[in-house]
Amino acid sequence: MGDLPASDLFIIITVLLSGGGIVAGVIVPAIGQMVVARSAMNAIARQPEASDAVNRALILSLAMLESLAIYILAVILILLFANPLRQFILGG
Amino acid sequence: MELEQEFTPVVLFHIGPLQVTSTIVDTWIIMAIISVAVIVLGKRLRVKPARWQNALEWVVEAVDGVIRDMIPENPRLFLPIVGTLMVFITAANLGGLIPGLKSPTSDINTPLAMAIVVFFSVHYYGIHEKGVIGHLKHYVEPIFILLPIELASELARTLSLTFRLFGNILGEEIVIAVLFLVLPYFVPVPMMLFSIFTSVIQAYVFGMLTVVYISGAVRAHA
Repeated sequence: MGDLPASDLFIIITVLLSGGGIVAGVIVPAIGQMVVARSAMNAIARQPEASDAVNRALILSLAMLESLAIYILAVILILLFANPLRQFILGG
Repeated sequence: MELEQEFTPVVLFHIGPLQVTSTIVDTWIIMAIISVAVIVLGKRLRVKPARWQNALEWVVEAVDGVIRDMIPENPRLFLPIVGTLMVFITAANLGGLIPGLKSPTSDINTPLAMAIVVFFSVHYYGIHEKGVIGHLKHYVEPIFILLPIELASELARTLSLTFRLFGNILGEEIVIAVLFLVLPYFVPVPMMLFSIFTSVIQAYVFGMLTVVYISGAVRAHA
């Protein structure tokens, strides 16, 4: 990789990091959502009459956890499409 | 890069110093659709509702139910803002499915504007219900050490409202666009069906979080 120009290297590293980053950044909130959903299922199975309250709390918690993955997505979109450091490498 | 241009709003024309982007025009179209629909449907209201009036009443009752669960004291006070946000976000998210339109919510300025509206309305309703002193006092309860955390959470909730809506809708559109580049016409259809689900859920989540934040400012013990 030593003979590649800096711009090519920049693009390759960005794409590799973005792919790896989105994988790592989605796994953790997914595990969190799994825990939340499982407990909600258990709660509804034990007390079906409380399912309205459980549903509300479930959707709120899932939305909170989901926003973690969304932050990663926003960072990676910036890296790919609007990287502020790109002008130093690509000179544009 | 074609994909990049697909997701950045285009400046169409200028009004004085203001740039009018494609997002704003799409928002106008969606506002016009909602307004015309509601004006036409709300023209002949009857005590015994017909088909379309039933649908409208169901929407109002659903929003009212969400608020009533969180703020049982006077839910009707908050119905206008929460209902407006939910209806507009639903329509804006679903508007992306119409060919030629793009979801205004996939431009970060639209969610940010709505999150700022929520930020100010939380303080407005807090002062309205408890007075200036009473509203400011809940930042230092139960102990004043919590003040920086409370202030940070004010900022963080505005940012997270913005990014949740923006990221979900933009992510959905990117997935559809990438599928369309790979295999056009039939493969993106299941994803578009799924995006209907996401759109409605995100509007619900936005409205619900608004209610949660308002109820935190309004209720006495919260």
